[in-house]
Amino acid sequence: MSDAHSHATPTPTGFVPHNVAHHFKTWEQEFQAAKLGFWLFLATEVLLFGGLFAAYIYYHGAYPETFKVCGEMLSWKLGALNTSVLLLSSWTMAMGVRAAQLSKKTACFNWLIITVLCGGAFMVVKYFEYSAKIEHGTLPTAWFHPHGPEAEVLNALIANGGQPSMFFSIYFTMTGLHGVHVLGGMVVITWYAIGVARGRYHSGHYLPIDLVGLYWHIVDIIWIFLFPLLYLVP
Amino acid sequence: MHVSHVSSAGTLLKVLVALLILTIITVAVSRVDFGGANLFVAMFIAVIKLSLVMIWFMHLKHDTATNILFILSSFVFLSLLFLFTIADWSTRGDTDPTLTQRAPVTQGVYPSSLRSDH
Amino acid sequence: MTATAVNVPTPTAKHYLNISSGFWSWFGTLDHKRIGLMYLIGTTLAFLVGGLFALLIRTHLWEHTGMLFEPGTYNQVFTLHGVFMVFVFIIPAIPAALGNLALPGMLGAPDVALPRLNLVSFYLWMIGTVFIVVSLVWGAVDTGWTFYTPYSAQSATPVIAVGTGIFILGFSSIFTGLNFIVTTHKMRAPGMTWFRMPLFVWAIYATALLQVLATPVLGITLLLLVFERLYHIGIFLPEFGGDAVLFQHFFWFYSHPAVYIMILPAMGVISDVISVHARKPVFGYRMVAYSSLAIAIISFLVWGHHMFTSGQSEFALMAFSFLTFFVGIPSAIKVFNWVGTIWKGSIAMNAPMLYAMSFLIIFVIGGLTGIFLGALSLDIHLHDTYYVVAHFHYVMMGSTAVAFFAGVHHWWPKFTGKMYSEFWAKVAGTLIFIGFNATFLPQFVMGSQGMPRRYATYLEKWEGYHQASTIGAFVLAIGVGMMIVYFVHSLIAGEKAKANQWGAVTLEWDSPSPPPLYNFEKDPVVTREVYDYSVLTHKAESHRA
Repeated sequence: MSDAHSHATPTPTGFVPHNVAHHFKTWEQEFQAAKLGFWLFLATEVLLFGGLFAAYIYYHGAYPETFKVCGEMLSWKLGALNTSVLLLSSWTMAMGVRAAQLSKKTACFNWLIITVLCGGAFMVVKYFEYSAKIEHGTLPTAWFHPHGPEAEVLNALIANGGQPSMFFSIYFTMTGLHGVHVLGGMVVITWYAIGVARGRYHSGHYLPIDLVGLYWHIVDIIWIFLFPLLYLVP
Repeated sequence: MHVSHVSSAGTLLKVLVALLILTIITVAVSRVDFGGANLFVAMFIAVIKLSLVMIWFMHLKHDTATNILFILSSFVFLSLLFLFTIADWSTRGDTDPTLTQRAPVTQGVYPSSLRSDH
Repeated sequence: MTATAVNVPTPTAKHYLNISSGFWSWFGTLDHKRIGLMYLIGTTLAFLVGGLFALLIRTHLWEHTGMLFEPGTYNQVFTLHGVFMVFVFIIPAIPAALGNLALPGMLGAPDVALPRLNLVSFYLWMIGTVFIVVSLVWGAVDTGWTFYTPYSAQSATPVIAVGTGIFILGFSSIFTGLNFIVTTHKMRAPGMTWFRMPLFVWAIYATALLQVLATPVLGITLLLLVFERLYHIGIFLPEFGGDAVLFQHFFWFYSHPAVYIMILPAMGVISDVISVHARKPVFGYRMVAYSSLAIAIISFLVWGHHMFTSGQSEFALMAFSFLTFFVGIPSAIKVFNWVGTIWKGSIAMNAPMLYAMSFLIIFVIGGLTGIFLGALSLDIHLHDTYYVVAHFHYVMMGSTAVAFFAGVHHWWPKFTGKMYSEFWAKVAGTLIFIGFNATFLPQFVMGSQGMPRRYATYLEKWEGYHQASTIGAFVLAIGVGMMIVYFVHSLIAGEKAKANQWGAVTLEWDSPSPPPLYNFEKDPVVTREVYDYSVLTHKAESHRA
């Protein structure tokens, strides 16, 4: 291949230029290749979480009463709060991508940091929710020993053939895996925010911000489904 | 050379507001009993929210057909997993009711014979 | 087309093998061909390890009371055989090794679209393999390669380590597939339309779809199994209201498409090899291309046929049995088209062609016995017998591994720049064919009589069949050993290969052997249809002139 292929994309003044990788002919090709790859990665995320949703549907069908009673033990107010926080963070992320496209360095940095803070707020709420569950012993199978105010209801449920430990297994697995994704997203967004501050991302190279944004939105989408399924069990 | 769409700030804000309103609706409809359709109603609203996020926040509206096709196909193939597992579960014992008998179920205590530390 | 001088070797030319040297020039390389070669070596080693376990199994079964192991140890040996062969060898073998070597060149691309991800994927493969190997320190896992609950939740062997290893291998596979999809979409040379792509590319593309869309479900299944053992979540355990059949649904949602992750690229290799060595365009090119996609899609609809005796509902059984028969259609389309390609071709019985012929015979047997197994009523009798063992070895070993060998023989001169001994290649190919059939034909007979799989001992009446099978396994092993020897010899003292050793017309042969770092000396522009062998005649004429 000739060296003519390695060239910088248009860079606004004050930003770090981005060179198109040697094996791509054009910036367009590089951009579209990375984007397609990332959408495929998001497809794998959908199927990864999809397995858990299948398990949810399966056991919701098997123990409808259990899911209804146990779902009411989660605070729908905290769930709704967290949903709103994540939706807000999705919006700030979208605004961050927009700022990167327009080469607005400070604005982009700020939007990304607000996104991370929203993620942090989400995790703090999650922490309080988890602590309450741990305190009351409403936990997955092996550690399930309810002794809080819900104990009576749960024991009655078990006497009627319910299976509350299954609900909490699924609750902790789903929200836990989702929480890990939120934490991972926060780390990566922080990393790119630093890059933004150093002027690496601009109208000629906003791809990484765009991609991390897509990731953050898919994490939000998963929560959009988790919230009604777990907190407002239909 | 390289044209990509920049969303307008107004559109993004409108999408956010729509999403927050839909969240309120989600909570509100959960108080109404639609009988067997409860799950369907909740998921219908969630799918609307998903579409809003995908179309505007994730720019699918201005993305290539290939990218749209791949992300949609992930949902299609996922629905196959749902479809067949539910088909199996919901028809167990249709011809032989003894097949639905369950093993005795224990609660909470995980017997030491099942614990292993590897 | 770039007009490359076919018979004028340039001895001092820089190619991808000699352009740099040292440890990091390999383990830090972004060149798809070097990564492909490392995969080739790695997966071959895994094949040899898995093969060693197979020989141990066969030796043990020489006597009906079992010769070598306690029953528990026997469980560990066949589990390791399965884990190494399935997850470490077959799944990555053709896509990651041969795909990496040949696919970008076939598209006229300088590299895969995401070279760094390609290297990451190779590292993940190594890390996953290390997990599995290191787990042996705690004793080998004994659950069978399927890790069925509830046993896998209570087995005292290192299920967590192996499960994590396979989880990581899964991501290696996902990233390889993802890379090939993007490469196929975005890196084709000017003029390389979808229907000018070689069928190997079509097959790898269909495989990649499966790798991306099915493997995540295996990931979540193994993650839940690991959680089960770490945190006792009870999702798959009946004692706690869980359902062990759900585990099997999850597992086979991946592992049935995984069967096609194994066989589809093998079919791709065969399409290309047969066309080149019969010097004829593939008969029904478009149908073969579409049938790859059809197999990929149907493979998501039939996983329940692995669970015919697991306690699914009768409705699910019938649905899965019915859908299973549809796999036969695209598979048969391929077989008929290969035969049509060979018909009246100008056949050169080179080593790759010999392996391809073996594939054709073995695959037809493997495929047809699969139709029997898909029939619900018959399967109740044959399930978990040696009939099933023989069936899937006909497809996985006899078809996929033999096609892998065909591909290695086909592309070896291109990517090493050396030729191997044709004579010994044919001897080894014949031994592998005879040894393979001797190993597994008796198993069909035993299985139909009810010999169950995974048993360490068996009734005396089957001793003759088992001994025939064991002898076959050793003949097969001799063939494989021979192959390793002449390949190593070829690397050291092999003759120089021609740029276009077999007279192929796909783009990867349009550069010197071995190819330069970015595959082509000049960016290729495609102006001809795929498998159009008339260009070779034109070239020869222009040379004479």
